[in-house]
Amino acid sequence: MVAAWKDQFRVFRIRDRLDSAMVSDSIPNASIALASSNPKDFAKKKRANRSAKLKQCKLDARREQWLSQVKNKGGCKEEVIGGSGKDGGPIRSENERGMPMEKLEIKPRVEEEIHLSSDSEFSPSNSPTSHSINFTASSRSNSSSGRSSSSSISNGCYSGIMSDEDEGDVGDDDCLDDWEAMADALAAIEDNHQKQENSQLGVTNQESGGTAVPRSPIHCQAWRPDDEFRPQSLPNLSKQYSFKLNSERGGSVWGRRNVGPVPTSCPICFEDLDGTDSSFLPCFCGFRLCLFCHKRILEEDARCPGCRKEYECDSVEGETILDGGSLTVRLARSCSMVTRS
Amino acid sequence: MATTTNVHHQDSNPNTPAVAAPAKQTVPTAKTVDTQSVLKRLQSELMALMMGGDSGISAFPEEDNIFCWKGTIHGSKDTVFEGTEYKLSLSFPSDYPFKPPKVKFETACFHPNVDVYGNICLDILQDKWSSAYDVRTILLSIQSLLGEPNISSPLNTQAASLWANQEEYRKMVEKLYKPST
Repeated sequence: MVAAWKDQFRVFRIRDRLDSAMVSDSIPNASIALASSNPKDFAKKKRANRSAKLKQCKLDARREQWLSQVKNKGGCKEEVIGGSGKDGGPIRSENERGMPMEKLEIKPRVEEEIHLSSDSEFSPSNSPTSHSINFTASSRSNSSSGRSSSSSISNGCYSGIMSDEDEGDVGDDDCLDDWEAMADALAAIEDNHQKQENSQLGVTNQESGGTAVPRSPIHCQAWRPDDEFRPQSLPNLSKQYSFKLNSERGGSVWGRRNVGPVPTSCPICFEDLDGTDSSFLPCFCGFRLCLFCHKRILEEDARCPGCRKEYECDSVEGETILDGGSLTVRLARSCSMVTRS
Repeated sequence: MATTTNVHHQDSNPNTPAVAAPAKQTVPTAKTVDTQSVLKRLQSELMALMMGGDSGISAFPEEDNIFCWKGTIHGSKDTVFEGTEYKLSLSFPSDYPFKPPKVKFETACFHPNVDVYGNICLDILQDKWSSAYDVRTILLSIQSLLGEPNISSPLNTQAASLWANQEEYRKMVEKLYKPST
């Protein structure tokens, strides 16, 4: 549960820092995006750092306010569930109405500010990075799920990146880290879109990435939790929001696994998936579940809950090929899964 | 948690009263069931259902037994069941979700695939069950079954034969509809 709050809180902090970045006129926002690649911007970053410090008191006040809200909600939530230990966090956060509202409130603002930084303060020609981000956001808001989808994407990316920094410490030294993390986040957004697009179109040309429209869907935000037609096999969304990006770090953080997002809890027993579970892909349909439930199902009808096909004897990872015929079949299948990613 | 202790006494059938349980020995086929995990799953489902805000369906555990739920389905718009409301009972086995819950109509329902006792003929509640289904999908499936019956394997042959005439069918539904209070 605490981790979920922290994620929210990180988004909040980023927003504050975005605030401060825009207050100081002397700093082009592109420096945020380009900082990681351009050493010249380091000085600018320092200045931004200073103005960020000026904003620190405001930030702290807001944080306290926010934390106290969270505590209040945490209190009443405990009662509803009647305490079943570690499972609490994400499921509980789904329980109270206040929390999702908070999220919705915060996310669009994050998005707006990205818009601002790219639209009003910087010409697109100078900053291909922020331009493409802006493009992403606006093109996404045309889609059916529109605003919520795009904003949650930016939220997701940020919290994912920020999770690598020290938790809870908002000391002065921390500011620099935040800026770097922010630069990483912005770069990663673009990078992510680029890669996704490339993998979709089969294009390997990196230069086209900056200007082309990133239209590839990000699976984890494709459905709103209240959507009638949301497939049941999808795990609990709000749970994913808060934990998915933390649970798997590194290259796969951005949901570019071959088959959709990795749920954080087993859809069968609702226990959290540990590292082994999340890398466990027993069926080609991509339905994931924990090893316990998988074993249990093997003992009974041995059919995948996601597609009702019978599980093959070997899981996808541990497969040993016995004859040539099945080898080709398996290879063809795994290839198709790769291209789908 | 009174429910937990209550359920621990009954391995094969959690719905029988706790008093009757000690007499029965566990059936050999029944595996050692982690009742906690069933509880957790049901609690999570309940939470999701309450937060989901699906219109036209609802469900809630009966009193203190989370293995027995009462569900409600509203007849979908533009079907002969529009404006009607049906109560259902769902009773979950101790090896849920690996086995489907038993679902019955409590309110009489004039429908080709529902018999006079309220039993439902729906594949996902029998051989097509998947542990990925949950209360919500069950209720939504039954709701859509109302408007799209499977005429070829009817439990209620009268309803099946009348289905072709939707106006008459609607009259019949209204005539036989006894909303529970």
